[in-house]
Amino acid sequence: MKRRKLDPAAATANFAKGVDDRFQAATPLRGLLNKVFPDHWSFLLGEIALFSFIVLLLSGVFLTLFFDPTMKEVAYHGSYLGLRGTEMSGAYESALNLSFEVRGGLFMRQMHHWAALLFMASIVVHMARVFFTGAFRKPREVNWVIGVVLFLLGFFAGFTGYSLPDDGLSGTGLRIASAIMLSLPVIGTWLSAAIFGGEYPGELIIGRFYIAHVLLIPGILLALISVHLGIVFKQKHTQWPGPLRTNENVVGERMFPRYAMKQGGFFMAVAGVIALMAGLFQINPIWLFGPYRAAEVSSASQPDWYVMFMDGLVRLMPNWQIYFGDYSLPPLFWPAVVGLGALFTLPMLYPWLEARKLKDTRTHHLLQRPRDNPERVGIGMMALTFFIIATISGGNDVIADKFHISLNAMTWAGRIGLLILPPIAYYMSVRICLGLQQHDREVLAHGVETGIIKRLPNGQFVEVHQPLGPVDDHGHPIPLEYAGWVVPKKMNKLGALAPAVKGFFYPVEKPADIPVSPAPISSGEREEISSKS
Amino acid sequence: MSTAHHGGTGTPVDVNDPKLTRFDIVKEGLRRDDIEIVTYESQFQGANSKAEKRVVRNISLLFIISGLGALAFVVFYIIWPWRYELGNNRSDYFTPILGGTLGVSLFALGIGILAWAKKLLPHELSIQQRHGDPSSDEERLITGQTMMYVADELGVQRRPLLKGAIAIGVAPLGLAVGAPLVGGLIQNPHKDKRPIMYHTGFDKEANGGKPVRLTREDGSPIRPEDVSTGGQLTVYPGIPGGATNKYADSPTLLIHLRSDDAATARAAADSDKNGRNKGSMWGNYVAYSKICTHAGCPASLYEQQTNRLLCPCHQSQFLITDNAQPVFGPATRRLPMLPLSVDDEGFFVATSDFKDTVGPDFWERP
Amino acid sequence: MTSDTPARRRFRVFSRRPGAPSRARRRVGAAVRMLAALALAGGVYTAFTPGAFAEDNTQLSTAAQQGKELFDNSCISCHGRDGQGVQDRGPSLIGVGSASVEFQVGTGRMPMTRQEGQAEQKKPQFNTDETKQIAQYVQEIGGGPQIPAGSLVDDLKENPESLARGGELFRVNCTSCHSFTGAGGALSSGKFAPSLHDATAEQIYAAMLTGPQNMPVFGDNQITPDEKREIITYVTKQLQENQDSGGIFNLGGYGPATEGMAIFLIGITILVFTSLWIAGKS
Repeated sequence: MKRRKLDPAAATANFAKGVDDRFQAATPLRGLLNKVFPDHWSFLLGEIALFSFIVLLLSGVFLTLFFDPTMKEVAYHGSYLGLRGTEMSGAYESALNLSFEVRGGLFMRQMHHWAALLFMASIVVHMARVFFTGAFRKPREVNWVIGVVLFLLGFFAGFTGYSLPDDGLSGTGLRIASAIMLSLPVIGTWLSAAIFGGEYPGELIIGRFYIAHVLLIPGILLALISVHLGIVFKQKHTQWPGPLRTNENVVGERMFPRYAMKQGGFFMAVAGVIALMAGLFQINPIWLFGPYRAAEVSSASQPDWYVMFMDGLVRLMPNWQIYFGDYSLPPLFWPAVVGLGALFTLPMLYPWLEARKLKDTRTHHLLQRPRDNPERVGIGMMALTFFIIATISGGNDVIADKFHISLNAMTWAGRIGLLILPPIAYYMSVRICLGLQQHDREVLAHGVETGIIKRLPNGQFVEVHQPLGPVDDHGHPIPLEYAGWVVPKKMNKLGALAPAVKGFFYPVEKPADIPVSPAPISSGEREEISSKS
Repeated sequence: MSTAHHGGTGTPVDVNDPKLTRFDIVKEGLRRDDIEIVTYESQFQGANSKAEKRVVRNISLLFIISGLGALAFVVFYIIWPWRYELGNNRSDYFTPILGGTLGVSLFALGIGILAWAKKLLPHELSIQQRHGDPSSDEERLITGQTMMYVADELGVQRRPLLKGAIAIGVAPLGLAVGAPLVGGLIQNPHKDKRPIMYHTGFDKEANGGKPVRLTREDGSPIRPEDVSTGGQLTVYPGIPGGATNKYADSPTLLIHLRSDDAATARAAADSDKNGRNKGSMWGNYVAYSKICTHAGCPASLYEQQTNRLLCPCHQSQFLITDNAQPVFGPATRRLPMLPLSVDDEGFFVATSDFKDTVGPDFWERP
Repeated sequence: MTSDTPARRRFRVFSRRPGAPSRARRRVGAAVRMLAALALAGGVYTAFTPGAFAEDNTQLSTAAQQGKELFDNSCISCHGRDGQGVQDRGPSLIGVGSASVEFQVGTGRMPMTRQEGQAEQKKPQFNTDETKQIAQYVQEIGGGPQIPAGSLVDDLKENPESLARGGELFRVNCTSCHSFTGAGGALSSGKFAPSLHDATAEQIYAAMLTGPQNMPVFGDNQITPDEKREIITYVTKQLQENQDSGGIFNLGGYGPATEGMAIFLIGITILVFTSLWIAGKS
């Protein structure tokens, strides 16, 4: 029998045919290859979160191979001399072994931790982008809510992970968590007893946090992230207004090859930044914290940054306790339970609140420049200011210590700042937005300032404006409609001057050429001039 | 497939036409997907231009850097001495080297790919129609009616007995599924006769009526002269496991005050409103629970001149010479005082448990 | 000790430690000026009151006599004659011992600018020899705790377990104010516990023994001299020399606060610039 020669092209075609016979993949695949995505730097912020989540999953799986979530007491006999012979929980011992006995284990641990910080940081930055550009409006309200839930889940994933090594610092955090549970009215002691399996700290909590941290929360996170992306895919990405762009189309580049390559490259860049930080910056040196002991504590005890706002609110809360006969409501309840709850539910409701206020039931696929909705920017800045002050107050003892400020003064500054700075931020950002709006309208109505000053016959000086559109019979520009996008405000944007030099490290405009000294004037020319006069 | 022609504008072309280029076929696909390519042009003047070659060189360089970084990572991963040793030595650089090489490798690869996409691929501007219109009223009606019909088919409305039976049948099953999930976790915090919530390791009753000694973390008892004036010592109940986390509410701070401060503290304790702290000091010694009444951190930053105890978690401050009343921060309740005495052998004992409840506040705290 | 070794290899974030050679040079210069001033002032003083010190000096050792001269010039205005103390200006030094002097003067906390809870660490006014002389004088007039002779740091080759024991004691007794990494921490109303990263073994020992300012006293009955040595071993060998496992930068050892700052200032910043570049028009 004659052996048939293998033809790669035919084999591939055959394979593809077989796939399509079974899954009817050709048409949807073409749709995927051709899908158009708009391009803007701010659309990439959410990707940072997605990519750091992937790094978290990969590094986290590695860590589970070595971590042992037991609270049984053991004596440490590893290579870290500073703890040798110390009694500690099995969880802490395995976290130490992971750091010191596993080749590259410390690097993976630090990568996991930095990726977690980056995950939460990029979620916040991404959320701010979505909020200030109005990307949460109909039809994307549900995706906004999912985003807020993702932050909340990240918060709990982070807290449970931070607690797992059972070291001195995280144990302090766990103690505060138990106090927050206790502060709930009526059910507080029951809730704490249920979660800790009896009296704090018990011997179960690390195991319970472990399963929450490696299975329950990441499972939900993964599911919700998939839904989040699926909805973005289905609804197609929002875009900025601009030439050719309408509410009914998407202007950008096809998914393959350019957009997908950008995504792939950006993933590598995000992973690279995480790896660099994990290698160069020490994070959470648990070996210095020692095993958790209820009597031991360190000054500057803080949670990771995304929990710090809550800790800050707790620090700033005055000592107001409410008594109901024999029962009482501790002050911890307000910032930690009510505050946390409000900080998550209010943003969730915001899309509907805004739509209701503006009586806006339309569908929006075009983004709004922040200046075009001053009220939203004001509210956002107010919330952001509140969050930032709370976060700073979460580290107010470090600031007090390192900048030699009184700790008590820091607390008071935080208390007062929390009340007066958000309204100021609201007022200022609304005014700034209105001012920017007005300037846009002014340029559209009168044209771009040219910098040329003209003196009128009556002695008055006026600046000459370059109209952006046609002019009427008197030479006055006909006012233009605002299109929701950048209005050119400099002559070089109109091509009247040399284009601005692009780049971070160059001046915005090219320096003027140094005047070259004129060539020696020949005597003939001179004569010519004199003869003319 | 004829269905592929939905919404496509423009004239369809015959994709089997041999005269068509590959790009023409791609464009036909785009047309069917309702995408219009507005611009699609190379970023370079002519193929193999100087500028293009330079970009290609740079991108190749980035890929090579990436490869070298990755190779270096593997080599250092294998050969570098990584086992922890005390002091400054080469093993300390293991993590920075891993991070540096891997980070550079990944970042260079990322930038290389990005530069490829950004600089080499043609400039493209495509427009795709969204088709974000909701379903037609007719479609909505049909789906709605179909769902209603499903309910009709089940006929629950017509069969009230079934309705009741479902309620009776499903609700208990839901409970049965939920009960072990929730019930297994529930513990009655008040179930012990002397709930540990209200008692610590210094509880005399739990120690067979014998006063509990104050001990160090290694269990050794403490004599008054062990703590210097202006000194403080963390003490634990002298019972088995008294210094472990099993008695997380028991750690106590034993403070030896200067005599004038001690006099002030004693006067304050003896004139205590509810009388709980009366006579709890021994000589110039006073002992307060170390567990902050706010959130349970050890409030143990003792300032010996100002006689304040500071909690490092939320900055509550307690005045030692005034029954450890909170003077600043979010704490509302004073630190409980441990009644002190010295036994026959000259060691510190607690004459009874704390008379205030130790630890963070909760709803039903007495 | 280690803090003066110029060959420290690590980058330090927020380092407050000036370069060692220049400090030494400045210190010598200050000492020379100080000595000249002292000689002049002391000479003038003794010339006019020749019999003032005659009887006291007979009981004092030579070092203490020199210390007394320094004391009478620099310390007497607040701590009074013979260290008896002055009402509302300075406490009596009877019984504080040489350890206290070596700490307070050796770290520049004394002379103090004004009476307050937090004595700021400044450039020391006296060199080591002068400090020892004053300490000797204060010891001889009132007695009190002394820094023992001999090494205050355990040799880890002979006694490796002392490091872990020191760590244990450090976490029970010291971290609440000085923090796990020894970076220091804030106390109430502007007071603070200083960083231990530049502290010498003698200073740590003296501080524990005497409880300077708001620091509690850890007497020898509470923490034995051996245990003190273990704590010092942990601080110097673990926290000072070996603080950076897992990174070149330890972000000051302030914990999550600086880590959170780093993720925004470094991580987010780099990636935002990257995305600006990705989406920028080429």
